[in-house]
Amino acid sequence: MRAAGVALWIAWPALAAAQTTVEFNRDVRPILSDKCFLCHGPDAAAKRVPRRLDSEAAAKADRAGIRAVVDGRPDQSELIRRITSADAAYRMPPASSGFQLTAAEIQTLRHWIAQGARWQPHWAFLPPKRPALPKVKNTSWPRNPIDALVLNRLEREGLRPSPGAGRETLLRRVSLDLTGLPPTPAEIDAFLEDRSPHAYEKVVDRLLASPRYGERMAARWLDAARYADTNGYQYDGERVMWRWRDWVIEAFNRNQPFDRFTLDQIAGDLLPRATLEQKMATGFSRNHRGNTEDGIVPEEYRVEYAVDRLETAFTVFQGLTLGCARCHNHKYDPFSQKEFYQVYAYFNNVPELGRAMKYGNSPPLVAAPTREQQRQLDQLNGRIRILDEQVDETVPAGFAPPPGSFWAPASELDRAFLFESPGEAKARGGEPSYVAGRAGQAASLDGKTYLEADGAAAFDIDERFTLAAWVNPEAALDGAVLTRMTEGPRGKGFGVYLNRGKVHVHITSSYDDDAIRLDTEETLEAGRWRHLGVTYTGSRLADGIQVYLDGRAVKVKVEIDTLYRPFRNAGRVFREPFRIGGGAGPQRRFRGLVDEVRIWARVLADDEMAALAAPLETLAGKPERRRILRWYYLDHAAPDSTREAWRSLTALHREREKLERSFPTVMVMTDMEPPRPTHVLQRGLYNKPGEKVEPGVPAALGSLPPGAPNNRLGLAQWLIHSANPLLGRVTVNRFWQMYFGAGLVRTVEDFGLQGDWPSHPELLDWLATEFVRSGWDVKGLQKLIVTSATYRQSSRATPELLQRDPENRLLARGPRFRLPAEMVRDQALLAAGLLKEKLGGPSVKPYQPEGLWKDLIMQDMYYVQSKGDDLYRRGLYTFWKRTVAPPMMANFDAANREVCVVRQSRTNTPLQALNLMNDLTFVEAARFVGQRMIREGGPDPASRLRHGFRLVAGRAPAPRELDYLHGNLQYHLGYFTAGDRAKAYLRHGDSPADPGLEPRELAAYAAVASLLLNLDETVSKE
Amino acid sequence: MDPVAEHQLLLTRRHFFHRSGASLGLAALASLVSRDAQAASGLPGLPHFTPRAKRVIYLFQHGAPSQLDLFDYKPGLQKVKGQDLPDSVRMGQRLTGMTAYQANYPTAPSVFQFSQHGQSGMWISELLPHTGRVADELCLVKSLHTDAINHDPAVTFLQTGAQLAGRPSIGAWISYGLGSESQDLPAFVVMVSQGGGASQALADRQWGSGFLPTRFQGVQFRSGADPVLYLSDPEGYDSAARRRFLDDLARLNELKLQDYQDPEISTRIAQYEMAFRMQRSVPELTDLSKEPESTFELYGPDSRKPGSYAANCILARRLAERGVRFIQLFHRGWDQHGNLPREIRGQCLQTDQASAALVQDLKQRGLLDQTLVVWGGEFGRTVYCQGTMTETNYGRDHHPRCFAVWMAGGGLKGGLTWGETDDFSYNIIRHPMDVHDLHATILHCLGVDHTRLTFKYQGRHHRLTDVHGHVVEGLLAKDQVSR
Repeated sequence: MRAAGVALWIAWPALAAAQTTVEFNRDVRPILSDKCFLCHGPDAAAKRVPRRLDSEAAAKADRAGIRAVVDGRPDQSELIRRITSADAAYRMPPASSGFQLTAAEIQTLRHWIAQGARWQPHWAFLPPKRPALPKVKNTSWPRNPIDALVLNRLEREGLRPSPGAGRETLLRRVSLDLTGLPPTPAEIDAFLEDRSPHAYEKVVDRLLASPRYGERMAARWLDAARYADTNGYQYDGERVMWRWRDWVIEAFNRNQPFDRFTLDQIAGDLLPRATLEQKMATGFSRNHRGNTEDGIVPEEYRVEYAVDRLETAFTVFQGLTLGCARCHNHKYDPFSQKEFYQVYAYFNNVPELGRAMKYGNSPPLVAAPTREQQRQLDQLNGRIRILDEQVDETVPAGFAPPPGSFWAPASELDRAFLFESPGEAKARGGEPSYVAGRAGQAASLDGKTYLEADGAAAFDIDERFTLAAWVNPEAALDGAVLTRMTEGPRGKGFGVYLNRGKVHVHITSSYDDDAIRLDTEETLEAGRWRHLGVTYTGSRLADGIQVYLDGRAVKVKVEIDTLYRPFRNAGRVFREPFRIGGGAGPQRRFRGLVDEVRIWARVLADDEMAALAAPLETLAGKPERRRILRWYYLDHAAPDSTREAWRSLTALHREREKLERSFPTVMVMTDMEPPRPTHVLQRGLYNKPGEKVEPGVPAALGSLPPGAPNNRLGLAQWLIHSANPLLGRVTVNRFWQMYFGAGLVRTVEDFGLQGDWPSHPELLDWLATEFVRSGWDVKGLQKLIVTSATYRQSSRATPELLQRDPENRLLARGPRFRLPAEMVRDQALLAAGLLKEKLGGPSVKPYQPEGLWKDLIMQDMYYVQSKGDDLYRRGLYTFWKRTVAPPMMANFDAANREVCVVRQSRTNTPLQALNLMNDLTFVEAARFVGQRMIREGGPDPASRLRHGFRLVAGRAPAPRELDYLHGNLQYHLGYFTAGDRAKAYLRHGDSPADPGLEPRELAAYAAVASLLLNLDETVSKE
Repeated sequence: MDPVAEHQLLLTRRHFFHRSGASLGLAALASLVSRDAQAASGLPGLPHFTPRAKRVIYLFQHGAPSQLDLFDYKPGLQKVKGQDLPDSVRMGQRLTGMTAYQANYPTAPSVFQFSQHGQSGMWISELLPHTGRVADELCLVKSLHTDAINHDPAVTFLQTGAQLAGRPSIGAWISYGLGSESQDLPAFVVMVSQGGGASQALADRQWGSGFLPTRFQGVQFRSGADPVLYLSDPEGYDSAARRRFLDDLARLNELKLQDYQDPEISTRIAQYEMAFRMQRSVPELTDLSKEPESTFELYGPDSRKPGSYAANCILARRLAERGVRFIQLFHRGWDQHGNLPREIRGQCLQTDQASAALVQDLKQRGLLDQTLVVWGGEFGRTVYCQGTMTETNYGRDHHPRCFAVWMAGGGLKGGLTWGETDDFSYNIIRHPMDVHDLHATILHCLGVDHTRLTFKYQGRHHRLTDVHGHVVEGLLAKDQVSR
C-alpha cells in the first residue's frame, strides 16, 4: 500500500507534486492489476465476480445502469464510488482481500477518469517501437543514443549526469563487467598511458575478444537455466551437464546471434540435419531437477519436469509468469489455463520417465565428446582407415576353412566357456555331464546342476555388454540360461532365460518397478540347437537391449521399462557370480544343453552375431559372408605381415571403443512420434486430466509464424520472430540489469501486468529494436552499453541525489553494487596469482568446510576435494550440489539453481564478512597477495602496499588509505613476532608459502592483504 | 510489503546513520547502525496483533515417526492383526511406489504399550516415558494431514508451504516478518543431528529463503570447531588482531563512505561488527561447559555429546534465552520402512528425554509461555505392514492422510488432545488440520495474520500459506498472551 506510493514517488516525483497527464499503462494499470485483478481479472469467473476490470469494454459496459468507468466523469463511475465509500461493506477492495488503496492511488484513478479514462493495451504485448531520439540541452554529453534517452529524462527531472568515472575505476568496472575479472597492474598501466581518444574502445574490444567474456556471460545464463551438477530432490545424485555449460560459454565467445542461441536451446534437435552442438544446446530444457526417490508416482514428476521447462523458457525468453496459469486462468495476464497446457504440450513430448536415474544422466541423452576427445577420435579413425587399407587383402579364391569352423570376435572378450576343458567354471548342485555339442563338447544340465564363475560379466546397468551361447532346451523350455543375479526369484541382477519357450531378458534392481523385462515374440522348440545372443548398450532402457536368434535380430515385447538404480546402489558392491543354467532359485534351473558361452564388454555388431551363429561354410550366398570370411582369414590364415597389421587394427578398434565409452553425455530434448497426448490438468494435478488440447501459443501473444511446424521448433521460431514483442525487450533488460544492478524493468522475470513499468520505456524499446536490427549481435549490444556515457559515469552519489533517487533509477550516476558471488572469489584468486584459467571441463570441488555434505546426504555421496589446479578454477566451474549448495556461493546470494532465477538479489550480511575473513580460499589467497607484495612490490613498504592495493582494488591508494595500511602493517609485523603465530598463519591451504620469505614479514603482508580483500570497494563494482 | 518499500525503509534508517555518521565516532556509528539495521526490527505493522509467543523452537523429526507407535493409540487393531486392511478404509488412496505392488496389506498393531498421562489422561506410548511426564504441557494434534507421500516434497511442504522447492522456509518468513530480537545472533538458527537409523536426505534449502533476500535464510549451527561456517579466525590469528583488523577495515571503509555516500558501505561496516560479535557470542552460546550438572541430568546422557539431538535441545534453550526468533532442530533417522520396533526404540531413546526436558526447562525458566515448541515429522506411517510381518517385527510405509505432532507453550492449551482418526489410524474423522493450518496457527501465536504476511514475487503476493490455511482456534488457550 505504502509501497506503491513510494514506488510512484521514486519513478514519478512530478506526479505527486503537480497534476500531469495520467497514463494508463504507467500509472493506472499497475494499481488495477495489483489491487483489483485478483478478483476482477482474467480469472474473474472462478471467483464468480461479475465485473471484469481488465478489459475496457467490460469496465465501461452499462450493467443495469451501472458503469464501473464513465469517461471523464469520476463521480458517476462506480469504480470511484466503491473505492471511496465510507461504508466498509460497500468499499473496494474488501477488507478480507488484504488490499487497500492509498490516497495517492485513489487520486490517480480519479484523475485518469477525469482526463477521459483513456485505455491502452498492455505495453509489453505491443511490438517495440523505435523512438525518435529526443533533443537534449546538454548536447556534449551523449556518446550514443542510450545517453540521449537517459539524459532526456534527467533533464525533465531537473537533474544532471555525474562526471565520468576515473580511468582506473572505469577500467576495473568494465573489466569485471565483461570478463568477471579485474584488470592487472600491467593492464591498468597500459590504459593509463594510452591517451588516444579510442583507448577505452580498445579496452572494450580486447575484453570482448577474451575467452573470459564467455565465462562471465555464461555465469548468469547458468542461473537462469538452473544448471547444476546434481539431480536435486531427495537423493540428489550426480548428473553430467557440463558439456552443455561449455556449449554456452562457447556460444557467447563466438558471439552466436541471440536468436540462434535461443532457437538452438529450445529446439536445436528438431532442426534439419541437427549437429551435435545443436542437440547439446537443448540441454537447456533438461537442466531441471529429477526425482529419484523410491516411493514417488513417476507421472507426478514427469508433469513437473514439463512444467519446469515451460516456466523456465517463458521466464527467460518472454519475461512472463505463464506458470501461474497451471491450476487456473492467470489472475492478471490474459492467459487461460487451457492456453497454459497448449504451451505445455510443446514440452510434454520427451520420451522420459518421471523417475530420474539415481546416478548419472537420464535419457534421452547424447554422447558429447569434448573437442579434445573428438580430435582423438578423428585421429583414431584416420589410423583405422589407413590400416584398413593395409589389411585389405582379398581372401584368396578357393580359400576354405575346415568344415564346421566358426569365427568369433576376440576384441573385448570378457570370458568364454567352451566346455572343451575343465576348470572354466565351478559346478553347483551336482556335476553336469559333457556331451557332443554344437562345437566340440557342450554342457548338459539337468535342472539341478549349474555352473558358476566369479568375476565374469561384472557389468552394471550403465555398461555395455554382449552375451551369447548355443542352447538346446529340453521340453520344459523354461529356466535360467545365462545370469548374474541373486539366487532366488524376483532377485536383483540381469539374465537371459527361457520363459515358456520365449527368450526372456531382464535387468533388475528391484523387481516391481526398477527393472527392464522383455520377451521375444518367437518361441523356441525343444531338442533343437539355437544360437542365442543378447546385446545391451548400457542405456538403461529396453531400447538398449537387442536379442538375436541364430544370428538375426528378433522382435521383442517389452513388459516393463523403468530401471533407475544401479546394482551398486547406495555404496553397496554387487558380488554375484556369473551363472550358466542357474540364478533365479532352484525352481528355475535350465534343463538341456549349453555350448560356446561367450561374454564381451562391448556391443557386437550384427555381422559378428551372424558369424557366431553359423559355421562358415553355411554362409554361402549370405551378404555377410565376405566380411566374416575375411575376418576368419585375417585371424587364421593370412600372411604374417597382414596378420600383424590386422592385430594392430583390432587394437585400434578396442582403443576407439574405450574412447567412445569415456565420452561425457548430455541430457537433451527429443520428441516422441506420435506425440504424447496433452490434457488440461485440473487444478494442475497430474492425475486429474481434463480436456485434450493441441499445442499452441497464447492468443494474446499472436500465433506461430506462417509455415512454422506446430511443435517445439515452431515455438522457437515464434519466440525469435520479429513479431514477438518480448524476446528483444526481455533480453536487453536482463543485460541491463547485469551492468546497472536493476533492469529498466525492475521485474526482469515479469513483463506481464504485474510487472514494473519501465523506468525508461523509450530506451528499452530503442535497445530492443537496435538489438534486432544488429542481427541479435550480443557482443555489439554489450559494447553499446559499456561505451555509453551513462555507463561511464562516476558512481559517487551526493546527498541530494541519494535523497532524490536512492536506487539510481534515473541513472544520474554510475552503478555501484556488490559483485556476484563467483566474481568475489575469482577476483581474489586472480590477485593472488592462483587462478588457473582453463575453459570448460568437468566441474571441480574447491575448498569447502568438512562434513557439509555428510550432515545432510543419505548415502555414498561424499565431497572429495579437488587437488592442484582444480582448487583454483573460476567459480562457474565449482561443483553445484543442489541440496547442499557451495557455501560461499550461498552466502553471497548466488541463485539457488533449483529453479530458474533471473532477478539478481544482493544482501549484506555478517556471514559474508566471516566468509571473506576466514574461508580457507580467502586466507590462502591473501597470503599469495602478500607474497606478491613483497616479491613484486619493490623494496619499501609503501610501494609494496601500493602494489597490493592495485592488485586487489585496481587503483593506486590515496595517501590516507596508505597511512592506514601502513599502520596495519606495522601492527601485524609486531603481532607476528610473538611465538609461532606466523608459522601457523602461513600454513593454511594446499599451496605452500614461499620458503624464501621471512615468515613474520610474509604473515604481516598476508594479513594486510586479507584486509584489502575485505574492503567494501574490493567486493563492489564501483 | 514489496522490495521497494522494504528498501526504502532500510535506506531511511541508513540515511539517518549516514547523516549523523560524519559527526559521530566510528565506534558509535557502528553501534548505532548495528542496533538498528542488524537486530532488524522486521516489517512495520508487525506483529499484527499481540503475540502469544515471541519465538518458535521447531523439533523436526525427520523421516516421519510412526503415529501408531507413539501417540495414536488403537487397541482395537489387535483383533484384526495380520488381516488385510479393508478396502473401505483405504478407499483407493494412492500408495507410494514402495508398497503399491504389495500383494496384501496386513494390519500391524503396535507392539508397544500405551498408557494415560497427566491430568488430561493423554494416551502416550511406552516409548516416550519422558514426554508422558510433560503431557499436561502438550497440545497433541492427531489429525494433521499432508498432500505429499514422499520425503523430499513432504518436508518441503512442511517447511515452505509448497511441495516443490523455491519458496521461503517458515523460519525465513518469520525472520523477514518479525526480525530478530538478538543483537549478536541470527534470527533463524538451524541444527541437524544424526539419528543413525533409517536416514533420509536433507537439503539446506529446507531452511532457505526462497525468493526472499538471502539474509533471512536459516544459519546452520554445527558441532565442532566452527559452529557457524567460517566463524573461527584462522590459526595464528587471535581476537585482538581481528579487532585491530576490523578497526582499520572500518577506517578504510569509512573513507570510502565519505567519498561515495553509498549506504551499503555503512551497512557493511556494521555487518563486520556483527560478525565480530558473533565470533564471541556463538562460541559462548555453544559452550555447554558452564551448564550445571543438573542440566545434563535433565536432558539425559546424550546431551554431553556435542552435535547430538539432546545437546542441540540445550542449545535451543540457550538460543531462546538470547532472543533468537526461530530455532529449528532436525533429527534424522525416523524412516522405518522395516524393523520398525527396533529402530523406533533407538530414535526415541535419542529424542524423548531431551524433547521433554526442553519443555520442562523452558517452563522452569519462565520461557515456555513465550516460546512455542513444535515436535513432529513430515507425514505419518501406514497401519499396514510394509514387507514381511512377524509376531514382533513389521515396517510401515509413508502415510500422508494422518499424523501426529505436539506443540507446547506459546499460548496453546496444555493437556489437549486434538483430532481423531478412524480405527486404523488411516483417515481422520474429527478436526482434520492441514499443513497450511499448522502454519497459520504458528504464525498466529507469533501475532502474525498469515494472510497479511506477503512478499511480491513474479507478480504475485506470496504467502507461507499460499491461498489456504485457517488458524485452529481450538488449540489456543483463552486470553493468554505473552508477557
